[in-house]
Amino acid sequence: MKVTGGCHCGHIAYEAEVDPATLRVCHCADCQKLTGTAFRTNIASLPGTFRLKSGAPKIYLKTAESGNKRAHAFCPDCGTPICAAAPEPNPTSYGLRVGGIDQRAQFGPPARQIWCRSALPWSMNISGVERAERG
Amino acid sequence: MKIVGQCYCGQVSFEAEIQADKVRVCHCVDCQTLSGSAFRTNVPVAQGTFVLKSGEPKTFVKAGDSGNRLLHAFCPDCGTPIYSAVPGDPPSYSLRVGTLDRRAELLPARQIWCRSALPWTSDLNLPGAERLERQ
Repeated sequence: MKVTGGCHCGHIAYEAEVDPATLRVCHCADCQKLTGTAFRTNIASLPGTFRLKSGAPKIYLKTAESGNKRAHAFCPDCGTPICAAAPEPNPTSYGLRVGGIDQRAQFGPPARQIWCRSALPWSMNISGVERAERG
Repeated sequence: MKIVGQCYCGQVSFEAEIQADKVRVCHCVDCQTLSGSAFRTNVPVAQGTFVLKSGEPKTFVKAGDSGNRLLHAFCPDCGTPIYSAVPGDPPSYSLRVGTLDRRAELLPARQIWCRSALPWTSDLNLPGAERLERQ
């Protein structure tokens, strides 16, 4: 599936191809912090399909507990997280942040959830929390 | 509830008294994009209690649908979202729950903008989905 995405302020735009059945949720403490919310939601771009169309994301080089390094890209103007990839000149695949993908409502439910041991317990089921259609 | 919070890289840190019974999940499309995830989780600060302890967040002025102007702050180095603030004296701050030390104790009381919610977020206990304690 072809997707387009970018940041809130419009500085960054990209396109890529993804398999909409491969959504992933990450409940690790680092993702909670870096998103400011309960969990991160990612989808991998298919090899060789990611293309940055405008803007220059800021890169933060993150070192995981394991020692693995990932280049995290975000918009320097509005802070929107864009993607993460191996820190090399032309990575094959990018972990796209689903919130910035225009077609995100068409993706299936997450096929995989990782780091569930640090999940915020309420985030697994919010169906009982009072709901308002608007703000 | 007294909390401390910081961004992922540690540059920006703060403390505040939060209104722990007013945690909100926001499903609006802007919060999806700006968190990069499925929804944002916010908590309001008791008036006049927000103290920036270190660092200098970058701010971005966001105009809401209503025309209201909201200041959004994030770490310029690692991109972690820190707060939104309604300008005033003192400003009204809302913090991003993922950055708070006591986030595991906080439960959402309300969900807003459910009309744009990604449907799978209601219940993550999905039959057939893979759930891993670690990666």
